[in-house]
Amino acid sequence: MTLDSRWYEADSRFIAGHYQPATLIDLAMSRDIDSHRLLRGTGLFYEDIVAGHARLSPQQCFALIANAQRLLEADDSSFLFGQRLWPGHYGPASHALQQAQNLQQALETLIHHRALLSPLLTPRLLLDDKYAYVYWLDSCGAQEQLRFVLEASMTALMAMSQWLSGERLPWECSFSHPEPRYVEQYWVHLGENTQFGCQLDMMRLPREYLTRPWPNASAIARQVAHQQAQEQLHGLGFRASLLDRLYVYLRDNARQAPSLEQTAQHFCVSQATLKRKLNKHGTHFQAQQDQARKHMALYLYQIKGLSNEAVAEYLNFSDPANFRRALKRWTGCTPNLIRQFLAL
Amino acid sequence: MTWLNILKHHRYKLGLLLLAANAAVLLNLAFGTPKAFSEWNWLDILGEGGTALFMLFWLGLVIKSRPTGRVTNYLAYGLCFMFFSWWVDVLDEFIRLPKHIGWDHWMESAPMPIGMILLTIGLFHWHREQQAINQQMEKRERVFREHRLFDKLTPLGGAEYLKRQVSDCLAQSIEQQQPLSLLALDIDDFASINQHYGHAEGDAVLQALSQLLLLNLRRHDLLCRLAGDRFVVLLPNTGESQARLLALELQQAVQSLAHKTRQHGERVYLSASTAVVMAVNEAPDELLKRLNLTLVRAKPPRSKRA
Repeated sequence: MTLDSRWYEADSRFIAGHYQPATLIDLAMSRDIDSHRLLRGTGLFYEDIVAGHARLSPQQCFALIANAQRLLEADDSSFLFGQRLWPGHYGPASHALQQAQNLQQALETLIHHRALLSPLLTPRLLLDDKYAYVYWLDSCGAQEQLRFVLEASMTALMAMSQWLSGERLPWECSFSHPEPRYVEQYWVHLGENTQFGCQLDMMRLPREYLTRPWPNASAIARQVAHQQAQEQLHGLGFRASLLDRLYVYLRDNARQAPSLEQTAQHFCVSQATLKRKLNKHGTHFQAQQDQARKHMALYLYQIKGLSNEAVAEYLNFSDPANFRRALKRWTGCTPNLIRQFLAL
Repeated sequence: MTWLNILKHHRYKLGLLLLAANAAVLLNLAFGTPKAFSEWNWLDILGEGGTALFMLFWLGLVIKSRPTGRVTNYLAYGLCFMFFSWWVDVLDEFIRLPKHIGWDHWMESAPMPIGMILLTIGLFHWHREQQAINQQMEKRERVFREHRLFDKLTPLGGAEYLKRQVSDCLAQSIEQQQPLSLLALDIDDFASINQHYGHAEGDAVLQALSQLLLLNLRRHDLLCRLAGDRFVVLLPNTGESQARLLALELQQAVQSLAHKTRQHGERVYLSASTAVVMAVNEAPDELLKRLNLTLVRAKPPRSKRA
């Protein structure tokens, strides 16, 4: 079995308790929250986490986040958590992040070692000639906790890149959820240009910032840390979640729109098993299929600058009316509206 | 305070109450005969027993939430007496005393007015105490209070509280034809304080700043923490030029604050950016948005670290 043929699921226990979860626990405890109340219902013990023995599943992380949110009762919890998140103290992967020589390397590390650095949310990088785009996908069915995880991860990337680069970077964030009541938290932590009700949960930045050198980085230290983190991934036996791998498969095969049967075959499981696994993550096959095809369509419009007809043809729609209907279902917009939005 | 601590502080009151309640039961049992089950009047038991329980619950809330002291003692003793009175009242639903005994009426009726008087004295002093506390809350609270909108870190109102106050003040300023200004203050490069000295120190800086800013404001101003290291001051009856002057003063105050870290006592150098907007005919949300955009434009570009 290679790293790329296996995956983790919502109930795989592999997230070290003294990594990201400890960051959240520390935050809560700095606000005088009792550790027993914080861990109630998660099946975890504070002593185990402190001893470095505890391994959490994504589901347990979500339960912990839900508890923390409820007990902290503050709108800025996710943002404060995000500020503390990266580079972090998560073994060699954190070192590799810390020693990145520029933003591009940091993003590569973050994406490559996402099972260690960002197990709940998958970052993905896209480039066109003007901008670098980082968009975020749910790795394990976060459901009610998705917004918290998104806020935290975007804040984390922003805070880390500003810290390590030593300058203020003109990140622009967009979220798929509508403008929340506590929008001022977004202003302060993510900038005034934050947009809501968008197609993707995404951040973008003018491309030239990717390669600007960062001070205080060491190429050798980074290389060694990278190798050590790679060994750690081998120890885990996977580097991506099931939803993550399914997304890549469906997006790469967006032209053919593979059926459930073909997909199950590709992943060497039965159809019933795949269905059950998706159900466990609070989703279903069609939703994943639609998401992948929607992203492909947006990619073709935005990055490749294709016309309506070309996008429809690429995605194998024989009839423009069908394509319009499908796009409307995926995005809530007609093709021309989408093009207008993206042109902004 | 934990319950154990509370019980320790109030051990005499609570001990006396327990003793008195038990003595009442024993006295009743010694002189009376228990009523048969069929004689129980459920409506009375529910009404009187329920009231007694409520008194106990209120007593619990009072001693749990209030610091010990004179006012707390008045309130607690008042409630103790009232509870005792209701308690004796409940007992006679279960135990019948012979007709010639008169003390049970005394036991039932005498503590009630005493309790009422004590509670009233307590409430009166509580009112005075509250006025004193309101004085201390000056510049942090105006007219309206909702504890759920308190900020969790600093002793200020949060963003939601600010929004309500802004919309109230906007309406008021239009009605009274008076100008209303808003001032925003943001610490420059606050993230680096967190990185250098840790997040706990960052929190301490924010707490120190909120006190410092309060000292530099006028009586009728209102300071709130918007989010993170950004504070907003609501300035009623204030034009833009006066607001600018205040902003400058706050900026200078922040600069000359010599905050020392808790661990090593190092001096933390702080500077702040400010922005001022005067309300024109616009919605509260728009006003706050405009204030924030003005602030972003006022921010200096972050200097490269050495």
